[in-house]
Amino acid sequence: MTTRPAHGADQARQLAPTGHSRDRRGSPIPTAGMIATRVMELRKRRGLMIALIVVNIGFPAVFLFIRLLAHAFAPYANPPAGGDMIFVVLVAGFLPTFGFIVATTVGCTAGSRDLTEGMFRHLVVTGRSRLALYLARIPAGLAIVVPMVAIGYTIVCAVCVFAAPTFIDDSNVNIPPGLSRAGFENWARDRAEPIICLLPYNGHIPGNVACPGPPPWSKSAVTPSQPAPARLEALAVKIASQGYHGYTQILRRPSISLMIKAGLWIELEAAVGFVLGLGLASLMGQRLVPVILLIVLQMILTPILSAVDIPHLQDLQRSFVGLAVAHLEPSGLPIAFGLPGVAGGLARPGAAQSLLPESATQALCVIIVWLSCWTILGAWRMMTRDA
Amino acid sequence: MITTAVPSTPGKPAAESRWAVETHGLTKRFGANIAVNGVELLVPWGSAFGYLGPNGAGKTTLIRVLLGLTRADAGTMSLLGYPVPRHRDAALARVGAIVDEPRFHRHLTGRQNLRLLAAAREPAARDRIGPALERVGLAHRGDDRVSEYSMGMRQRLGVAACLLGDPQLLLLDEPMNGLDPAGMAEMRDMILSMVAEGRTVVLSSHLLDEVERTCDAVAIVDRGSIVQQGPISELLAGAPIALDVECSEPGRARALLAGTTLGARIKAVPSALGLEITLPAGTGRDVIAEINRVLVEGGISIYRLQPVQTSLESWFLQVTSRVGDPE
Repeated sequence: MTTRPAHGADQARQLAPTGHSRDRRGSPIPTAGMIATRVMELRKRRGLMIALIVVNIGFPAVFLFIRLLAHAFAPYANPPAGGDMIFVVLVAGFLPTFGFIVATTVGCTAGSRDLTEGMFRHLVVTGRSRLALYLARIPAGLAIVVPMVAIGYTIVCAVCVFAAPTFIDDSNVNIPPGLSRAGFENWARDRAEPIICLLPYNGHIPGNVACPGPPPWSKSAVTPSQPAPARLEALAVKIASQGYHGYTQILRRPSISLMIKAGLWIELEAAVGFVLGLGLASLMGQRLVPVILLIVLQMILTPILSAVDIPHLQDLQRSFVGLAVAHLEPSGLPIAFGLPGVAGGLARPGAAQSLLPESATQALCVIIVWLSCWTILGAWRMMTRDA
Repeated sequence: MITTAVPSTPGKPAAESRWAVETHGLTKRFGANIAVNGVELLVPWGSAFGYLGPNGAGKTTLIRVLLGLTRADAGTMSLLGYPVPRHRDAALARVGAIVDEPRFHRHLTGRQNLRLLAAAREPAARDRIGPALERVGLAHRGDDRVSEYSMGMRQRLGVAACLLGDPQLLLLDEPMNGLDPAGMAEMRDMILSMVAEGRTVVLSSHLLDEVERTCDAVAIVDRGSIVQQGPISELLAGAPIALDVECSEPGRARALLAGTTLGARIKAVPSALGLEITLPAGTGRDVIAEINRVLVEGGISIYRLQPVQTSLESWFLQVTSRVGDPE
């Protein structure tokens, strides 16, 4: 038996589409509206947003606030809250690590929640290209992660700059910042004893220079007969002159160029975490396992791979995205991962170890390949998955 | 492998197609299990079409295949005249669907969920959010989180989501699930009003009574295959007629009928109050009069003699051979 067109057919045909839809919903390019609503969907996840704010903004802000308070109430016992050293500690250790973890969590949420919450089916039924549905998540997630990381980082930079120490502390000698060579030498002439006793000097110091007090005033033998003041001043000027280059290298606060580079690097770390999380979660169709896998990759596997030297597998070691991102870390920061490094690399100033030698171009290529592969895998799974 | 050679040519205006939904030999397998088996489905434009089948018959799978939620293994199909999956985007632009239980982002409000879906449709869809919520009776709860919605409210939100695309075709899979009687009545009215507007509604359900009240035509599916399809009135006209006879001495009455020429054409079984006689489809009223005459002339007292219209349910049970089947 067959069915016949019903009476309402004519009316129905009048309402029927007369050609392809004009909104190009088959296009793989997501619309601004799709991205905006995807941002809204992520932003409304209260737990995720709280975690994001607490880790990226709350932790560094509270840490610095406590240091500010401590210094305000007991300035001699507690150093200033900011300064170059604090910046380095936060930027090379805390911010990228926790930024990566939080970005990964956001990525895994963006990549899996439509599926697990049953919304993916509704979205597919709209006829919109599945690729566009996937790609809309990338700018949307980055629109959440990047500003959040930037806010936390800006707080760190602000405190490190505006609450930096007034003096440069070199070997327990407080030196005014920004002195010229002549100024530095004049300043040293007026403080001959501490300069001679505390600052490093590659030369002969007369044995009868008096360095009073307990160690660290122990550089020279204390004798009853002091050299003439003119001789002490000349020696202090000589020491200052020798150490001037080192003095100019010591920063009271991070330089603007370092802050910009470090900020971009932290954002790169977060963006990589987000895109990897998105791809892996889309591939697996769940959130928890990809988050765990990526944390293991970043916090366990990558540091181990950075620490060991496997002669025949160095290229494999270099192909890990964590090491590649670490290679792009701005100079002026201690090297990423606090484990003894492999031999062969040249340690940068302040670095205790080194990574496998790898050019910035190689590192960039590794990152691009990782991001591309996971994006392609996630998108492919999304396009072929039963909804 | 899908081929898309259906009567409608690609890009051809959909209104030139005779059918809102058309499938030929559509097949979907899950391993050795054939969920959809060579389905030939023709859904007329502007109708309320019931897709009926027992649990596990493949109703939802067929809808999922039609919507591109899963891939078919063989066969061709078109929606609104557009061959799919080749022109899936154009077809789905004017299709709304509820598949299984409607689920949404629970942390978002109903309105925000609709915004998310509207953004994936054409720009005008955003303007339809308010009217859609109004139509399904959720305007006053649209700004509540979905986590606070009842099952029935989520069903309504699912219908509202369908309406965002101003659909010409609605594929509703068990839309009455979770609704109380009042909600079912509202849903029925909503479906009928949409059909009255010229939309085509395919209602997949195992609630035969609801389908009978709502739909003009049905397809009965069993074990992945369509057993029968057509207008309900035509299908039921082809069903056997039941005759309830309340009489004295049912045993002798049965023997009397068996001894006449009618005996070969009818099937009489004793019932609580007399006899239940099954007549072949298309039996005329004169045969009923003849039965009455034979019994009265045989000395049987007739208290009541009533032809019973075959219901969709009894017919469904006959054609699906599920009488007495364990669920």
